[in-house]
Amino acid sequence: MGETTPEAEPRKLAEEARDRVRFEEEALDLADQVYRVARRLVSSREEAEDLVQEAYARAFRSWQSFQPGTNLRAWLFRILTNLNIDRGRRLQRAPDMQPLEEGDYFLYNKLEEAGDTPEERVDERLSQDDAVGALAAVPHDFRDVIVLVDIGDFSYADAAQILDIPIGTVMSRLHRGRRILKRELADRTVGSTA
Amino acid sequence: MMAFGPGVDPCEECEKLLQPFLDRELNEAERVEAQRHLDDCSYCAKRYRFEVELRRFVRQAAVEEMTPQLKEKLSALRTPLL
Repeated sequence: MGETTPEAEPRKLAEEARDRVRFEEEALDLADQVYRVARRLVSSREEAEDLVQEAYARAFRSWQSFQPGTNLRAWLFRILTNLNIDRGRRLQRAPDMQPLEEGDYFLYNKLEEAGDTPEERVDERLSQDDAVGALAAVPHDFRDVIVLVDIGDFSYADAAQILDIPIGTVMSRLHRGRRILKRELADRTVGSTA
Repeated sequence: MMAFGPGVDPCEECEKLLQPFLDRELNEAERVEAQRHLDDCSYCAKRYRFEVELRRFVRQAAVEEMTPQLKEKLSALRTPLL
């Protein structure tokens, strides 16, 4: 402050205000995408709304820690997922890692066994409720990765950065999570798979 | 990732490559090998097609838009201009 001339200080404040306004506008432009992902990370609309508001409040408070020119979307999602984990997720035990019997072709094979040509009638065989319910039934750690990659359109590398886990873990969770998702869908569509 | 090769069941290998193939995360050599197998194998090709449709379906089904009220609340969180 000592070196600053009296004229420079207001200019600096004006520049900062302009940068902040631009940051807030860019962040708000992403709100639809942020909400869509948040909605599937948690189980209710109310929780998703709270989470998104909390994430934006934090983002606006700490806007100066964002490096202009880097990925704002990934930065926002990192705040969101960290908050979500802080909201009690740490208390949960990691889901067990027993081998899954179901392979990647599992759901297709089940539908085919039921006498269908599954690749031609996906939207006739499955309902929106089936899909939402099956996704919600996938344990958190796996669901976070599926939601970021499939709904948020993030690459494996971005998802790894957002969740602060190695890329190999993203791949293994995605793989297992999608198998669990298909098993859940099979349970809802072609009855018990036991 | 293991490549297609002697002693490897190509359909089993293709099943392993299903996810990264559809996520566009395979390297070029792996992608070419998987594509070559898919071009020749209707068993895997049908399952890949199904997976593409399934992902599209889940993605669309999972979308729920935020309410205008939430949008207003987020705008209200902005720092007031002096």
